[in-house]
Amino acid sequence: MDTRRPTTLACERMAPLVGDLVDDRLDRAARESLESHLAGCESCRGLADDLREIRRSARALPTRAPRPEVWARIAHQLAAQAPARPRAFWTGARVALAVAAVMVLSVVTSVVVLRGPRLSLQPIAPARTAATAVNPSAPDTVKDVDEHLRIADANYQQAITGLEKIVAADQAALDPAVAATLQKNMGIIDQAIRESRAAITSQPTSQLAQTSLFDALRQKVALLEDTIALINVMRKGDQAGAAKLIGGLSKS
Amino acid sequence: MVAFEELYRRHSGRVYNVAWRMTGSAADADDLLQDVFLQAYRRFDSYRGEAALGTWLYRLAVNACLDHLRSHQGRQGKATDFIDDVEGLEPVADPSWQPDRALDRLDLESAISRLPPSYRAAFVLHDVEGHKHHEVAAMLGIAEGTSKSLLHKARLRLRALLRGGPADEAGPPAAAATGTGADGRRGER
Repeated sequence: MDTRRPTTLACERMAPLVGDLVDDRLDRAARESLESHLAGCESCRGLADDLREIRRSARALPTRAPRPEVWARIAHQLAAQAPARPRAFWTGARVALAVAAVMVLSVVTSVVVLRGPRLSLQPIAPARTAATAVNPSAPDTVKDVDEHLRIADANYQQAITGLEKIVAADQAALDPAVAATLQKNMGIIDQAIRESRAAITSQPTSQLAQTSLFDALRQKVALLEDTIALINVMRKGDQAGAAKLIGGLSKS
Repeated sequence: MVAFEELYRRHSGRVYNVAWRMTGSAADADDLLQDVFLQAYRRFDSYRGEAALGTWLYRLAVNACLDHLRSHQGRQGKATDFIDDVEGLEPVADPSWQPDRALDRLDLESAISRLPPSYRAAFVLHDVEGHKHHEVAAMLGIAEGTSKSLLHKARLRLRALLRGGPADEAGPPAAAATGTGADGRRGER
């Protein structure tokens, strides 16, 4: 086959299109024009044949399998890294928190069901209907509601205590300025929790006070969770991830 | 670990093959395969589920290959962006490809390994791996037209390597194509 440079102007113009012909990227008019040229030009026809063969052969190249030792090397490195990996630690904390959150959610849900009719001041028909399921005046029911609230509060506190331990153990990974801001925000939430508790003490049936308390507890859990996530990414040296989390904390 | 091993069993072949084609070296492909899966393990938190897991791993692999090619080129004293550094290599003649027989696989693999990195990346991703030009362009961080141009030049260089003629006499250089236009080119099928 002749591989000399095409010498005619037509060849100069057509040659770049040969690759497009091989890839079936020409419209009908361009294809017919090029094929007409190829019919009379051995050099360009040879180029097209060769490029087709290269493309066909490339697609037909056999695949290869990696050596089995590669996985052994990977597994060895993963095993060596495992004790120091923060993710395993974090996963454990997340699982514990998830369990605590489910407990809290179930308790709070039952409290809402029990407490709703008793605290409702508006004679809304559906609420009254629901109230018939639980006798609002029965002392046992009131006792149950208070008990459920106490359990919900206790579960939040348990989750918060666990998270606070994690943060206390690892907060050195945080930038001091960031840690100070988080501490300040935590102080604001703690103040809200204290005020809500005080309101509940003076007005035990206040739905607003109870809602405020559980909102504040939820915020504390969320802030602690975000703080641990931030510690986690900063340990990894993931500056972009840290910036993203800090941005999210700023918005919350 | 068991789940990750299953992930490895499922996707290591594709990762290994693109690494092997891009580097032209079984040893380098082994190293890259290991690096990619260790990186995937460490960075799994960054996997957003926007693409299939295999696609995410493949992207990690292609990026690792490109880093490898860049650093390899850097060690050879060619510190410029490897995508721009496409001229001036002397072809190694292989006169074994005769017009009357199909292209030998080993000849082709050898010729691919001798392509300049940018040509090799475009050729492997398009002709060997079967990606479209817009996908190749996205993976290499270049314009689609540049991908088409690199592919055409790669094929011409391969032809020269396989035929034994000087690389720049295998055909006229291709102008960068940018999809359908007055020249009659259409978008890729």
